[in-house]
Amino acid sequence: MFDLAHILDVLVESYPLFMKGLLITLQLTFVSILIGTGIGLVFALFKISGIKVLNWIANIYIALIRGTPLIVQIFIFYFGLAELGISAFWSAAFGLAMHNGAYIAEIFRGSIQSVDKGQMEAGRSLGMTYGLAMRRIILPQAFKRALPPLGNQFIIGLKDSSLASFIALNELFSIATTQGSRTFDEMTYLIIVGLYYLILVLLFTLLVNLLEKKLSAGE
Amino acid sequence: MKKEMIRIENLKKSFGDLEVLKEVNLNVQESEVVVLIGASGSGKSTLLRCINFLEIKNGGKIVIEEEEIDPKTHNLNEVRQRVGMVFQHFNLFPHKTVLENVMEAPLNVKNQSKSEAEQDAKALLGKVGLSDKADVYPAKLSGGQKQRVAIARALAMKPDIMLFDEPTSALDPELVGEVLATMKELAQEGMTMVVVTHEMGFAKEVADEVVYMHDGQIWEKGKPEEIFDAPKEERTKDFLSSIL
Repeated sequence: MFDLAHILDVLVESYPLFMKGLLITLQLTFVSILIGTGIGLVFALFKISGIKVLNWIANIYIALIRGTPLIVQIFIFYFGLAELGISAFWSAAFGLAMHNGAYIAEIFRGSIQSVDKGQMEAGRSLGMTYGLAMRRIILPQAFKRALPPLGNQFIIGLKDSSLASFIALNELFSIATTQGSRTFDEMTYLIIVGLYYLILVLLFTLLVNLLEKKLSAGE
Repeated sequence: MKKEMIRIENLKKSFGDLEVLKEVNLNVQESEVVVLIGASGSGKSTLLRCINFLEIKNGGKIVIEEEEIDPKTHNLNEVRQRVGMVFQHFNLFPHKTVLENVMEAPLNVKNQSKSEAEQDAKALLGKVGLSDKADVYPAKLSGGQKQRVAIARALAMKPDIMLFDEPTSALDPELVGEVLATMKELAQEGMTMVVVTHEMGFAKEVADEVVYMHDGQIWEKGKPEEIFDAPKEERTKDFLSSIL
């Protein structure tokens, strides 16, 4: 079963196919993380706004997302949005973005609240509006603190994108399962796809570490 | 006659059930330096924070430069541009260099041009003796240097009034002098100042009026020599003997 030469052969041979899947996985991950970060920021600001209605909206949203399985959310988006003529890719992207958004909201909320409240007061005492002080003073500091847990969430998001294979999206994992069942060589393809994810995650971790270093320069 | 910069009438402030300010009255004329003294919990910091509306009063009147300010209808951001504040813990922006700290509000609140803001900021840093620290991040500064940057940052908005909330309380003793010297210079230039401090030497030397607060009220006020040399109230005597 663990014939290394065979695995290498299949790895080289299946490389063009997996590259197509990799491209879709990366697109899916980046789009969903980008939108998810936007959603997360908005709901984090809702949660700290002190406005009851906004608090409630954020709490309900986060409870719904955290309380249900991601696969259920992806299917709901897929069947719900397909009727509107939205592609499987965008259904999965929105589903993943909404899911990541709930977790990212909690990350941002925590990091915003961890910034000393004297910072907001200093900004306001200079005549800044709440929004300006938030944007110029609080969020840059909060974002830096959020980076380690955000990197973690991004890695989870990358791996979660494999669930999009269930709605017939030809990303990495789906290539592995189709090829596996076509050739009756499932284990080889699973090991190969595992390697692809592992390398992606390691590269991503490296990128986050570099960004962290760069952002903390000078302080 | 000099302009009246701050007039406070029957100011009340509570946090929950706790009455922190009970009917406080205070007047500050142009170029006057008023020093607030009193034990911690006497309400002096809260009074200061009410003047630039970091705390919103529960009752009474606050008149800034002959205009009554109603927090509900006035643009407090505009008022705060005229009333600078220096905090006990400096509250410098750690992600910005010293120069950027000073330029931040003129650039983004007053929409000054970058060259103008930079010129002003450099002049202010020269004034507080920190020209050589312009490109350094706050974490690299001593407490005294941080507080002088904070003073320059507040002055960059060209305020008419400056509030100091225990500006030397967080400093090592050997760094207190440099901050007080900067404040003294500012007072001599005619800045209107309200200062909460435990530095009685500074109060004696620089204050036009010393205000002793106790239990949310102004217990006694007068010229420094009246308060320090001949206090009328028992409480004032007790307080002064406890700290001198």
